[in-house]
Formats: sequence, C-alpha cells, structure tokens
Amino acid sequence: MHTATIASPQALAPVRKSFVRRNLPYLLIAPSVIMLLALIAYPLLFALKSSFYFWNLQVGPQPLAFVGFDNYVQALNAFDFRAALTNTLILSVLGTAIEFGLGLAIALVLLQALPGMNVVRALLILPTTIAPIVVGFLFRYLYDPGGGLVTWVLQSLALPIPAEGILGSPSTALAAILFVDIWQWTPFFAIVLYASLLAVPDEIIEAARLDRASAWTILMRIKLPLIRRTAIIIVMLRFMQIFNTFDTVLVLTRGGPGTSTRTLGYSLYEQGLVNFNVGLVSAQTWITVLIVNVIVALYVFFAFRNEEW
Amino acid sequence: MTFDIGNLSRRDMLKTTSAAALLATGVGSLVAPRRAAAADTVRVLSVEDPFFFAMKAMIPEYEKETGIKVELESLSYDALQTRLVSAFVAKTSDADVIAVDQMWLGQYLDNGWIISLNDFIAKDGDLDLSDFIPEVLYSSNMWRGQIGTLPVAAYAQGVMYRKDIFDEFGIAAPPAESSEDWTWTKYLETLKALEGKSFGGNPLFPTVVCGSQPSPITHMFTQLSVSHGASWFKSFPGAPWDFSPELTGPAWVKSVEIYRQLYKLSPPEAINYVWFDAGTRFAKGDIGMFYWWTPYFYLVKNSGYMTGKKSDVMDKYATAALPKAEGLPQTVSLGGYSLGVPSSSERQEAGYAFIKWATSKATQKKMALWPDLNYQFSDFARASLYEDEEVKAVYPYLDVQYAMMKQGNGKITRPPVPGYTAVESVLGLTLNQLLTGSEDPKTALERTNGLFESILKGNLMIPYQKESFSDTLDGAKTLIGTLGKA
Repeated sequence: MHTATIASPQALAPVRKSFVRRNLPYLLIAPSVIMLLALIAYPLLFALKSSFYFWNLQVGPQPLAFVGFDNYVQALNAFDFRAALTNTLILSVLGTAIEFGLGLAIALVLLQALPGMNVVRALLILPTTIAPIVVGFLFRYLYDPGGGLVTWVLQSLALPIPAEGILGSPSTALAAILFVDIWQWTPFFAIVLYASLLAVPDEIIEAARLDRASAWTILMRIKLPLIRRTAIIIVMLRFMQIFNTFDTVLVLTRGGPGTSTRTLGYSLYEQGLVNFNVGLVSAQTWITVLIVNVIVALYVFFAFRNEEW
Repeated sequence: MTFDIGNLSRRDMLKTTSAAALLATGVGSLVAPRRAAAADTVRVLSVEDPFFFAMKAMIPEYEKETGIKVELESLSYDALQTRLVSAFVAKTSDADVIAVDQMWLGQYLDNGWIISLNDFIAKDGDLDLSDFIPEVLYSSNMWRGQIGTLPVAAYAQGVMYRKDIFDEFGIAAPPAESSEDWTWTKYLETLKALEGKSFGGNPLFPTVVCGSQPSPITHMFTQLSVSHGASWFKSFPGAPWDFSPELTGPAWVKSVEIYRQLYKLSPPEAINYVWFDAGTRFAKGDIGMFYWWTPYFYLVKNSGYMTGKKSDVMDKYATAALPKAEGLPQTVSLGGYSLGVPSSSERQEAGYAFIKWATSKATQKKMALWPDLNYQFSDFARASLYEDEEVKAVYPYLDVQYAMMKQGNGKITRPPVPGYTAVESVLGLTLNQLLTGSEDPKTALERTNGLFESILKGNLMIPYQKESFSDTLDGAKTLIGTLGKA
C-alpha cells in the first residue's frame, strides 16, 4: 500500500530556493548560451547539412540531391584552392606579424610623453574605422600607375614598378593587398597594446631602471611578459580576421592577376554570393573552418601551455 | 587548460567564434528584411547603371501623373543580385519592380522568383510590343517562351576612335556600317599603325582592353570570339540542349591570339581594368581606338565615370561599326538591364504599370533628353527612337548603335544558362592569365574546357536532365507577333 505524501508549500520553498541558489550562475548565463547556440551552432549545422547536398540557386531554389562528400572533393580539387590557401596563409601570417611588430613600436612611442601625442592617438584610430571596401577604392587610386601616390613615392625612391602597375603584376599584387591591410589594422594593434602597456606598473619599471636594466631588457623581460595575454588574444583575433579577407581583394584585384591574390575568403564570396552554389560554399566553409581551427588550436596550445587560467 | 566560462572550453569558444566569422561571408547572408507595401506605393529596386539616373529624374512626373509614390532604391551589380536572391530564398516581398540582368533571367523565371509578363502583355492594348527591337527582347527578356522582363536599357558593342588622331596620322576612319572590308585583321592593322606614336606631346596607346577577371575581360573578349564564330556549348540555344563545352576549337584559339595582341597595344595596367576603367582611359585622351559597350558612346564624353564634367575627347571622337571576321556573318554581343515583377510582390499590377511606363517610348525619350550628367542615356530598346530626329541631334551615333543592335545575339555571346557565373569565373581567369603569361592558348583552353566540363557536371548540366527549348530569334519574333496581336 502506497501512501502519497504531499509536501506543503512551506516545505518546498527551501528546496526551490536552494536549487536557484545552487544553479544561479548557470541560470544567469543561460540566455547568452542559448543565444550563442542559436547564432553560431545553427548556421554551422545548417552549413554542414547543406555541404552534403547539391544545392545551387542558379539551378533550383531547393537542394536537388544528396551527394555525400562530392562538394568537399570539388572544393579541394577546385582550380583555385591551392593558390587561395597559399595566399591566405601568406597574408594571415605576414600581416599579423608585421602589424603586431609595427603596432608594438607605435605603442611604445605613444608611451613617451612627446608633444602632440593626444592628436596622434586620435588620428591613429581613423584607418580602422573606414570600411574595407572604401579603403580598397582609396588604394585603387593610390596604386594608380598613372600618378597614384604610392606609385609616385616608390618611383621617387628609384624602386622598380612593374609596367602593369603594382596591382597588375603577379609579383607585387599580393604585397599590395598586404600593405593595405597593414595600413588599416596596424593602429588597432598599436592602440590595444598601448592600453596594455599603460597597465604595466611604473614601480616595476622604475625598479628595473634602478638595477640598470636597458630599455631593450625592460621591454623583453618586463613589458612584453606582462602584456603577453592581451598580445596573444589580439594576434589570434587578427589572424582569424585576415584569414577571411575578401573585400579589399574584391575591390583591388578580384583575385588577379591570375590567381595571385585569390584568397579563401574571396573564393567563398564567389561561390556563395556570385555563383550561389550553396552546397559547394558550405563545404568550402567547413574546410576553411577546419583549417582555421587547426591553426588556432595549435597556436593556443603552444601560447598558453604555461598559463594558468 | 580551459576557460572557466560555463561549460565552454577555450577551444570550443575559439572554434565557434572563427566559424561564425567565416559564415558571415557565406550562406549566413541569405536573410532579407521584409517591408510592407503601402497601397499607393510601388517599390523599385534597381542597379546603379547610367540609365538609373535618368529614370530617377523622371519619377516625380510619374508620381504626379498616377498619384503613386515610387520608392526607388539602387545598388551595385553584385549587391543587387545578392539582395534579390536573399529576398527570394527567404520568400520576402522586397520590391514590386526589380532590375534584372539578362544573365539572371533564366534563373529567376525557372525558380519562379519573377512572374511571366505574357498575360499582362496579352491583355494590354496600349503596349506597342512590336516597337521593341526583336534581337533585344530575344537576348535579354525571353526564356523558354516567356517574356519575363521588358528592357529599360539595352546595350550592344561598337567602336570608338579619335578623329583628330586618325587625321593627324593620315589613317582612314573606320566605317560606320559593317562591311566585308572592315575585319578584325584590318582593325589590328589600323591599331598597329598607331604603335609607338605620340600625340600632343604625349605617348599614345593604340587601344585599351579590359583585363580584370572574371566578368570584365569575358564581356570584352566574347565580342571578339562570337565574331569569329566561337560557341560555348555543343548545342545551345537550339534544341536539344547539350552543354558539353567546346572551347578548344580554332575560333577560340584565334580569338585569344587577337586579344593578346590587343593587350600588347594597350596600357600594361589594363590587365587590371574593369568596365569603366577602359572607358575612362579613352576619355583621358591617350587611346587611339577601342571597342566596348555602347553606353560608352556617351560616357566617354565625361572625364571620369558619370561625372558630368566634359572630357578632353568630347568633341574629338566618333563611333564606328564593330569589325567582323573574314567570311563569317557578324554577331554582336547584347546586354543591358530590364525590369521585372517579383512573384512575391503583392502589387504586381502596379509593378507592371511602372515597367510599362519606364520602358515606354515617351519616357525613354524624356530620359534621353534629360540634360544633366552631360546627357546620359541613349540605351534604347525601342526601334522608333533611333529614328527620332530630336534624340539623334543629341546622340549623333544612333545609326551605328542601331546597326549593331540589329546584328545582336546575347544568347550565343554569353549563354544565360544556369551556372553561367561559375564557368565565367574559369574563363575569365584563364584569359587574364593568358594576357600576361606565355602559355600556348590551345593548351590553356583545353585545360579550361576540362574545368568547364567538371563544373557543368557538378551542376547537373551534363547530361542535361531538364526539358530543352528551341530558343531561336524566329521563335521570339513569332511570340512578339502573337502577344502583340492579342
């Protein structure tokens, strides 16, 4: 014989209270997690599913057939895949490294109490606020072989300019795209690193100076280690951003001459928003996601292996 | 090592963040805002080509006549196509009238994204369908026996040359009419006579080409190739459709060889030139002769693209017929923009009424006589406007342009088939590489042919599984006659 016992509301209250109290952090973070899942996981899974179908909006509005890994095979065998991957890696690695180096140098200069630094700081942010498409158009004119400023400066320095122009030669076009990215995004590094360097306690620097540490030693042994975490994060973010470069390529060269400036981002744009091949671009997206994540995972592993979080 | 944020590891967070960033460039953009249509409003979404500005200037008159407010919006070519497809896929009503490129027509009609105008036209007693140039309607507005759009701006290709330079060097002017003597060989010889010359103290380039991939170089090159009788596929637009690529024939090889020579006679930076770069370069004054889309017949009057400021060559250039290949009938590339009604529109009749107005002879004439921007519209699809003396006084080259239109066939030059943009990407890239490289054209074209085949098989175009349609100019003329009489 069962006897049902019904707890009184007064008895339940502490249980409910303790449940809420115990799970409060999870409850508070739940809306954000749900939002993240909706905004990130759903598109990713949607792309994953689409990548196994033949779905080209130029041929039909709906997926027409399940094709297994055909889209992945097509993407990997595409005429431009190898060139796009190589160019993307060159841009990402060199761009991030140069922007970091120059940004750090600028940040160190900004730390000096030189006259006019307030104005410089304000001006420095300007390039990052311009849309990449606009920057692309700006540099189209700056690179113009018939009197563009960059061309004129290089000619004045007696540097050789290809007859086809800076953007017209496979030997210089990728470097020209890289330069645009460096011009636009070095200030981002400079400002973030400057803010981090400001947080380095003066007492430590003073103590090192009293110990007769050189400026180089202070930089390498004190400042850089103290801003290391910030530096690692922004390097990672910029690497991922450059990995997706397509807008400046679209405006400046459309991936040419030949495939010399074609990037994975540009190929994604072309397959997705010009050819409307949803299945193929989904496969390309996943291939790119995997490549980025392998690189980032390795980077994070080595960068943080001695870190405690 | 993990972030202690909920249950998310740092790697997971990095993975999802990077994936989201990448997806933003891909399928993630297939969402469009829904805007409700007011009862007395017609929403028009257009590309910002030259015709747009003249059409925009006429809108107040339309609003005054009809009491209907026009919400006119313009976008760049790529942005327009992306916006339209996004809206269609999301089944949103984004506009009542849209500008449609000829290359999009088949896709939009086959997918049911725009409606056929056949019924509207058949019931319309006022629309003078027979005034439209049949070659234009056939090339830009008809697909599988349906009129999906009506042309608001029709383009052919033609030659522009500098009268003063030709006079200076005693070179005979190219003819205004097509003839057996005016061939691509003769065109090249004429250009070579200008090689190494200076004019007005400045070095002169005999010509200018578009080298940028994929569309600009394909648009210019295909005029040359179609003149030489090159066709893209084994059988299209005639039935049965067979999209096996045929890029290895002698006509393609010869066309590449000529285009290479044209590039060598152009400014080297033309390797990166898009459509307007070639036009504005001619307007700068150091080019002897070139061929391009007919809107440049008036655009080169401007210094810069659509600036309205007079260029140095404004009174010094003339137009001429396109050269042809020896012993072959001429075919001219046709292009342009047309207006259609999306199936998602809740105001399809109002949309059709706007299209009828915008493409009418009266409105097109007013657009042509709109004086701003240095008179910027002569892209008529209506034959009668080529005879209008008032219009001809402003645009003296209309006879040449009309003659090119009458020889046009857009369906052979750049076949508007599903998957066209994908094969155009490959062709554009190959042509771009061939201009600066030393690869044998035949080898490059064979490689491109293989890539075409692979892409077309991937798009289920080879073997073609849908029903074919015998898409001929004669069939188009019959349809025009039938709908016109109804």
